[in-house]
Amino acid sequence: MLTSLYVEGRSWFHRVPVRAKLVALLLASIALFATDSPLPLLAAFLLAGGLYLSLGLTLRQAFARVGFVFFTILVLAAVNLFLIPLPQVLALALRLTALVLLAAAVTATTTIGAFMDEVTVLLKPFERLGLVRAADVSLALGLVLRFVPDIFARYQAISEAHRARGLPVRPLTIIGPLIILTLKDADTIAAAIDARGFRRQ
Amino acid sequence: MDIRFTDCSVSFGERVALHPVTLALDERRIGIIGLNGSGKTTFARLINGLVKPSTGHVKVNGLDTVADGRAVLAEAGFIFQNPQHQLIMPIVADDIAFGLKNRGLPVHEISSRTEAVLARFGVSHLARRRVHELSGGETQLVAMASVVVTGPKILILDEPTNQLDLRNRRMVADTIEALEEDTIVITHDLGLVEGVERLLLFHEGRLIADGKPDETVRCYHEVAGC
Repeated sequence: MLTSLYVEGRSWFHRVPVRAKLVALLLASIALFATDSPLPLLAAFLLAGGLYLSLGLTLRQAFARVGFVFFTILVLAAVNLFLIPLPQVLALALRLTALVLLAAAVTATTTIGAFMDEVTVLLKPFERLGLVRAADVSLALGLVLRFVPDIFARYQAISEAHRARGLPVRPLTIIGPLIILTLKDADTIAAAIDARGFRRQ
Repeated sequence: MDIRFTDCSVSFGERVALHPVTLALDERRIGIIGLNGSGKTTFARLINGLVKPSTGHVKVNGLDTVADGRAVLAEAGFIFQNPQHQLIMPIVADDIAFGLKNRGLPVHEISSRTEAVLARFGVSHLARRRVHELSGGETQLVAMASVVVTGPKILILDEPTNQLDLRNRRMVADTIEALEEDTIVITHDLGLVEGVERLLLFHEGRLIADGKPDETVRCYHEVAGC
C-alpha cells in the first residue's frame, strides 16, 4: 500500500518528477509486454532490481516490501510450468517481477500528496471534457489510502468482540457490523470534508 | 466573535433537536455543556453551517450560515468529536495541506503555512507520520492544526478531551487555552470550561442556563441530579 511504502530519501530517483516516473512506468509496462524473449526481459529485471536497490533500502526491507508479490508470481510460474514451455514461463516471471520492482521503486519515492496532486493534474483534460472531477478522484484515492487501516482495525476489533462473547469468528457475521459502522462514520467524514472547505474555490 | 441566533430551531423529521433559541454570542471564550443528546452539538453545528436551521437564521460575523455557507466555513472552523474522522489524508503534513489546497493557494505558501502551524502546535516531528498511527493526544493536536491553518477567526471544538488520558487531556487543554482564535468548547469536562467568559447549558433541546461558569455548572448539577 502506498501509505506504508514511501521511504524518506535523497536518491536520484526521489528527485525525478512524479509525472516522469509515472510515464516511465507506463512505457516500461508496454515495452515489457512487447517481447517474449527471456534475455531482454532478464536485462529489464536486473535494471529494475538495480534501481529498486539504489533507493537506500536494506536488502531485508527491500524484500519485505515485494516478497509476497514475488511469492505469488512464483506460484503462478510453477503452475504455468505444466501448461507452457519453460522459456515462456521464464519470460512471464521475469516480466512480472521487473514490473513489480519498477512500481515498488515509484511508490517508494513518491509521497501520497505528490501522487494525488499529479493525478489531479493528469485528469484535468478529462475534467474539461466534463467526464470527471479531477479533485474528486484525487480525494477518493486519498480517502481509500487513509481509511483502509481504520477499516482493518475495526475488523479486528469486531473479531475480538466476537471472541470475548464466545461467538465463532466468521467473516460473514463480521461484515454486517463492519459495513454499518463504516457507513455511520462516512457521514461524519463527509461533514468533515465539507467543514474543511472542499470545493470552496 | 459576533454570532447571532434569531428564533433558530432544528428538527429532524418529527424529532425536535433544538427548540427555538434567540441569543447573541460576542465573548472570546464560550463553553457549552449538557447531558448526552441535549442539543449542544446541534447548536454548535449551526454556527458553521454543518446543520441548517429548520426555522430562523444564524449569522456569524455578519454572514448568514445558509446564504453565505462557504464564507461561514472560512470564518468558523469545526473540530469534530472524533478527530480521527476529521483527518482525511493518510499523512499528517498532507492532511494539514488539504484545507489550503482547497483554497487554491500556491505550493510555496501551502508548504510554509503547513510548517508554521505544525510548529505552533508542537507537532513538527509528526509531519511525515501516518495519521492512523498517532496517539489520541497527537491526533487531537493535528486535528486542531489542520483547522487553524486555514485561518478561521472562530474555533468550535466538540468534546476535545473526550477519550484522552490525564496527560494528553492537560496538553490539549493548555493548547486550547493558548489559542489566539475565539473559541466555543462543547464538553462534558467541566475543568475545561472553568475559565470561559460565558457558559451555556442545554437540556432536552432547550437552552436552560446562560451565564458565568459557576452559576451554569450549579444548574447542570441540578439537571443531572448529582
